[in-house]
Amino acid sequence: MTAQAPAPGDQPILFVRDVHKHFGGIQAAAGVDLEVGRGEIAGLIGPNGSGKSTLFNLVAGMETPDRGQILFDGHEIGGKKAYTIARLGLARTFQIPALFENMTVSGNLLAAAAEGHWHGAQQRADETLALLHLEPVANNRASDLSGGQQKLLEFGRVIMRQASLILLDEVTAGVHPNIRKIILEAIARLREQGTSFFVIEHDMEMVRNVCDRIIVMDSGRVVTSGAFEDIVQNSEVMQTYLGRPQ
Amino acid sequence: MAQTMKNRWAGLLLLVGILVVLALLPVLVNNYWLRVATGALMWAGLACSWNMLGGYAGYINFGHSAFFGIGAYATAILMGADFAVPFLATIPIGMIVTALFAVVIGAPTLRLRGAYFAIATWAFAEVLMQFATVVDFTGGTGGIGLPPFLNERFFYFAMFAAAVLTYFLTWLLFERSRFGLKVKALRDHEPAAEAMGINTSLVKLQTFVLSAVVASVFGSIFAYWVTFINPKSVFGGDITDQMVVMVLLGGLGSLWGPAIGGVALFFVNRLIWMYYGDTAFYIAILGAAIILVVLFLPNGIAGLFARRSGKSGSVLDTVLGRLLGSRQGGRS
Ligand SMILES: Nc1ncnc2c1ncn2[C@@H]1O[C@H](COP(=O)(O)OP(=O)(O)OP(=O)(O)O)[C@@H](O)[C@H]1O
Ligand SMILES: [Mg+2]
Repeated sequence: MTAQAPAPGDQPILFVRDVHKHFGGIQAAAGVDLEVGRGEIAGLIGPNGSGKSTLFNLVAGMETPDRGQILFDGHEIGGKKAYTIARLGLARTFQIPALFENMTVSGNLLAAAAEGHWHGAQQRADETLALLHLEPVANNRASDLSGGQQKLLEFGRVIMRQASLILLDEVTAGVHPNIRKIILEAIARLREQGTSFFVIEHDMEMVRNVCDRIIVMDSGRVVTSGAFEDIVQNSEVMQTYLGRPQ
Repeated sequence: MAQTMKNRWAGLLLLVGILVVLALLPVLVNNYWLRVATGALMWAGLACSWNMLGGYAGYINFGHSAFFGIGAYATAILMGADFAVPFLATIPIGMIVTALFAVVIGAPTLRLRGAYFAIATWAFAEVLMQFATVVDFTGGTGGIGLPPFLNERFFYFAMFAAAVLTYFLTWLLFERSRFGLKVKALRDHEPAAEAMGINTSLVKLQTFVLSAVVASVFGSIFAYWVTFINPKSVFGGDITDQMVVMVLLGGLGSLWGPAIGGVALFFVNRLIWMYYGDTAFYIAILGAAIILVVLFLPNGIAGLFARRSGKSGSVLDTVLGRLLGSRQGGRS
């Protein structure tokens, strides 16, 4: 590896260097370099098909990188099994809700804690139900939930993981403003407890409100990163990568 | 909440009532009906063992008779003149042999999509049946006899104990523990289960071995009970077919479904046998039961009693979707 891993002291929670991944002729990750700091909420934006979800899949172990380095909390995780990475303290949501459809809402939350922090899981499940306003449907089948409630439950499961880094893939896409508010409050709550976040978002309002720093991807590469205002002021970036002239 | 508590007590009372009646059955009915009840308990237990993997983990095993047969042959061979092992000691040996086979078959195939697993298990049972037909130590096509022990009450209570233990274990492991949560999670969405830290390959293998070992126990008792087995009578595909239909009719993935389906279909089987003497009609009934379930009763008979707030989807939908590959390609 050419890139040098950072010293343990100021080690970021996530460190990605020169990561490549292709699907047939498509280069979905073409040398991705990025970091997410401890306690940071980093936003990941970019046009459809730019490789954002692929990057999440590579980090979370659903895909194996062709080459490159991925360090999570100091551990080399590139190509490791998803469950191994999850047990190190990384949790993710899925862009398309991936609920345990035949289980109840509480069952989904408990199942998320079944491997790992099981002690006190029932109590944490109750707290999570309250936090996400899912108490009235606690005993419903997950597949009976509305689209917005499914997003909430998808988010609730990662809360149950007690992870140090949470990857959110468009959790607020297409949900009612009330539900978005619930999710934003929950993110704020977790951040106070020191959780780091890496979030894919198309909604600029949401990005502005929650993210400390924005990373912009296009065609499998990171093209720029910085504070929201700086990115927005760079009209070239906005036009080219977000298709939204300001 | 109060309603839930009331239902819980009613359910518990019903369960205790059934257990008391079953415990007293030998003094209540004649030997013929006691034999029928013994068979019903066996099928209820076998269906439950199939449901562990098929209903809770969502992997369809079309060769489950293989494990019933291994248990039956282990007991038959070991109790023979060559070894003269006491009956009770043959059961754990059959379980160990079964577990070894299950690991060897399951470890490579449970990683594949459900359809490959279904085909692999079906082929495995066929191969074992052919094997038992051609080798000497199984008695070949002619089969193998066991030392007769003509005590109907012994076999009734043996099946009763095995069935009660099977259901208790299923309740404990699949309905009341972390293990069950992991199994159901991987059934419903394997990539998501992995993302929650669950080693799905391991959990599937554990479930498969457990379901196989339980079937082998029933095979052991069955062989001693009927005092004579042959490859067709313990490895036959019709044995697996019946378990599948019993579970589907009773309710795939539910605790009591297999008991309801197993007892109901076995009684129908005996009644048809009493009045018509042949089983072709029974096979037609199995077919009709499947159609009924697929079209109108995806949650089986047990589903009729469940308090469901909504009605979207069923375990059957999930499992068929996986079997046919229309879901969860592993992409997110
Ligand atoms: N498993 C896969 N097999 C084949 N191609 C894939 C696979 N996953 C992603 N791709 C392709 O890789 C490219 C990047 O896709 P990805 O899902 O990462 O984009 P994205 O940035 O998340 O887009 P969106 O904003 O629409 O969610 C796309 O061209 C996509 O078709
Ligand atoms: Mg995406």
